[in-house]
Amino acid sequence: MPARGKQEGKTSSAGGHGRGRSSQAEAQLAKMAAGIAHDLNTVITTIYGFSEQAMESAGEKSRTAAYVRKIISAADRARMLTARLLSLSRHAANEKMAVRITDILSETIDLVKPSVPAGIKIVRKINAPEATIEAVPLQLFRIFLNLIMNAVQAIEEKKGIIEITVDGPVNNKGKRTKKNDTCLHIRISDTGKGMDRDTIEKMFEPYFTGGGEQGTGLGLSVVSDALTDMHGTITVSSVKGHGTIVDMIIPDATFGSVSEKN
Amino acid sequence: MAGVMIVEDDATLLDLLRESLERRNYTVITASNGREALIKFRPSVVDLVITDLLMPEEDGLMVIMKIREMKPSIRLIAISGGGKAGPGSYLLMASKLGADHVISKPFLPSELVKKVKEMIG
Repeated sequence: MPARGKQEGKTSSAGGHGRGRSSQAEAQLAKMAAGIAHDLNTVITTIYGFSEQAMESAGEKSRTAAYVRKIISAADRARMLTARLLSLSRHAANEKMAVRITDILSETIDLVKPSVPAGIKIVRKINAPEATIEAVPLQLFRIFLNLIMNAVQAIEEKKGIIEITVDGPVNNKGKRTKKNDTCLHIRISDTGKGMDRDTIEKMFEPYFTGGGEQGTGLGLSVVSDALTDMHGTITVSSVKGHGTIVDMIIPDATFGSVSEKN
Repeated sequence: MAGVMIVEDDATLLDLLRESLERRNYTVITASNGREALIKFRPSVVDLVITDLLMPEEDGLMVIMKIREMKPSIRLIAISGGGKAGPGSYLLMASKLGADHVISKPFLPSELVKKVKEMIG
């Protein structure tokens, strides 16, 4: 009998649709702003570093040190500006919009793939290629990132399969009833070491670390919080030594194209 | 003295971090991308690796995974200013892959040196 753990969000509606195009433009701007802030942050680190060295070699009471302190204070102001830029970009990036699940999934897999050992295969089974939900793209990205990296870590011998299924429309139990089904079902399973019931329950606690010597292995609280925000549910089933299955059900999905929806 | 490898694609920052650590008598090996880091890494010499995450030619996440495999006892610090997914996502991933400590840019190099001292003496 597999061990299971489940976290449920509220069941009310996911809210309004339709701001898709302008939100997507804002998201593009947010990405650009984040990119600029990233490059500036490297430059500011360099200014801080050489200023610290100049201060050390000139002596704290020298005239040069007084000039260097002014440079550091200018760098502090620049740091505040990049923080503002990032905060604006985060604000835009945190807006809900119509998101095609397979787009975010592909982006995540592209990012993760170079870090996945060659013996681990990531298999996609996409039964609902146009499935779209109203969500914050970054939140979805974090859900996929967490779950895929957990699966990679669970495969100890660096050889195994991670299977990602996107299915729907289904009802809120993940079944196809053909009676006004509007839910999306995402399953991420792995052939890794699996977990006992105790570990699964603890995974939903904030700050839980299950990675042991391999790393910090953050738990599922981030994922379940994000799903709660989407009024979705997550269920984890696992048998020690035989892998883990994570099922997510997200309501109010559409299964046509994004442009139809907008 | 303990050995540190720095992997960073910004040449000026790489120079700065190398100098900061050499002045504290660490043996420093530098690499300007992940591929170079994997070629230059010597388990017997390096006790700690500081790596940026977004780099050409094998990114820092790959460096973390491969170097952890080559020397399980290695200490790893990931640094990142973000990218299109935001620094949080990359640093979270670095933690998951086995970084012992993560630092967001911009940072004071003296704080990084302090952390290195805490970790490897």
